[in-house]
Amino acid sequence: MRRISAAISLVLLGLLTIALAQAAVVALLFVFSLVLKLRLGIEVGAGALVMGSESGYWQPQVTVFNGATVASTVFTTVCGVVIATWRFGRWRPLS
Amino acid sequence: MKTLLRLYPRSWRKRYGREMEVLLDGMPAGVGVGLDLVLGAASAYATVIRGNRILTAAGAFLHGVCVAMLLQAILFVSFILYAQRSGGNPVLVEIGPVRLATFTRPFLFGNAQLFPLLGLTPAMDFLPSLALLVTLVAALVLVLASPRLLRTLR
Repeated sequence: MRRISAAISLVLLGLLTIALAQAAVVALLFVFSLVLKLRLGIEVGAGALVMGSESGYWQPQVTVFNGATVASTVFTTVCGVVIATWRFGRWRPLS
Repeated sequence: MKTLLRLYPRSWRKRYGREMEVLLDGMPAGVGVGLDLVLGAASAYATVIRGNRILTAAGAFLHGVCVAMLLQAILFVSFILYAQRSGGNPVLVEIGPVRLATFTRPFLFGNAQLFPLLGLTPAMDFLPSLALLVTLVAALVLVLASPRLLRTLR
């Protein structure tokens, strides 16, 4: 029972980490678009989030679609899981 | 300075805390000592984590997520850089039927090419992107090298 609850805790913690990482990526994109003077559009499901300044009409626009959002989440998860699994297999006790 | 000792793991503080406090009493408080303490705390935590298989895997997971985030940021800035060098043409990234991202310049009288042609696009507008890209690559190298750097601190 302890092992099951520990495993569930690990999975939930992993999901929380991925969610926070994706939020950080969106924040990074927002900061980059401010620095590079771009309008940033992120498609979220059927809607979209557009970020830019009031006089931003004359600025180039970058739009990130649902496909990229999903690919980003999958890529982040796969990177984390692959490296964690590799380290788990290679672990040796400290001498 | 003694407050910085709280950064160390509990097991370390139990074993060496008193000794460290006596040592710190005889040392002048300064930025160098503070930095040494902070780096020492990181090294002590790294030792605790390395001694546990689950914690090592969890640390590796976090490391992998940070690397993935930086790679995505580098990809985004590289896309911007490429699009900025493509003149006035809109740039579309897609894999098969799935659209990933687009970069479009504003239209002037229905023409996206007029902005660069009329010189309304800032000259060298790619320089901030390039500077950002170099910074991100440097950050990626630092994150990839951080486990090895922490090991050499021991």
